[in-house]
Amino acid sequence: MIFPVKQFGLIFRLVEEKDAAFILSLRTDPKLSRYLNSTADSLKQQQGWIRNYKKREKRGEEYYFLFADEREMPLGVIRLYNILGKTYTGGSWLVSPGADEFAAISSDLFLLIFGFEVLGMEQCLIDTRKSNKKVVRYHRMFSRQTGEDEDNFYFEMDKADYCRKREFLTKIINDK
Amino acid sequence: MDIKSFVQNFAEQFDDIDTSGFTPETQFKENEEWSSMTALSVIAMVDQNYSVQLTGNDIRGSSTILDIFNIVSEKVKQ
Repeated sequence: MIFPVKQFGLIFRLVEEKDAAFILSLRTDPKLSRYLNSTADSLKQQQGWIRNYKKREKRGEEYYFLFADEREMPLGVIRLYNILGKTYTGGSWLVSPGADEFAAISSDLFLLIFGFEVLGMEQCLIDTRKSNKKVVRYHRMFSRQTGEDEDNFYFEMDKADYCRKREFLTKIINDK
Repeated sequence: MDIKSFVQNFAEQFDDIDTSGFTPETQFKENEEWSSMTALSVIAMVDQNYSVQLTGNDIRGSSTILDIFNIVSEKVKQ
């Protein structure tokens, strides 16, 4: 896949060091950051994190996407990581509060297609903070809960779940 | 399917704001918590509770909870 990719009304590209300020603005947003692990909280630390990520990206270990609207206004980020055999983890999903109503769905669908079809993965793992109720409800629609601890729910999604989810989400997005 | 329980189910998708004043006429996009994540949560709630799939047009074309209720009611009949 050659980036940037225009799909579902959004532009997707791999994160670059120049995106550090935007990502930091999302990760330090009081509402969004409630559901995140502690973050590199300075611009310099964020830039350093991205530099290290680019090495993992080059080795095919991780893919961190920024998505923007058609005017190239950044709207959010989403990440595919922990690739082990045919299994990966999807997460670090942040959408700017001012984004289009369907930006969350479009970006999730993009990452699923990238994982299952472009990379040929067969299983997606997801962990979500219990307090992130909206996302928990969403994942329960298509994924099986495999466990929980004090803070998180753990889900998994196989290829059949993916196909069901892709059909459901595509119908929503295409009916604009 | 009744409007009272629908409003209650709809209100439960909002985690941060006071929804005690939600009524069928509430303009659900006119509050600070409405976002793409809330839209997604509403779609999930309608699918799970009413076995109805809302579309992009359904959400975009609606402004009150009653608008969504009417769409769901129509789809339930189909």
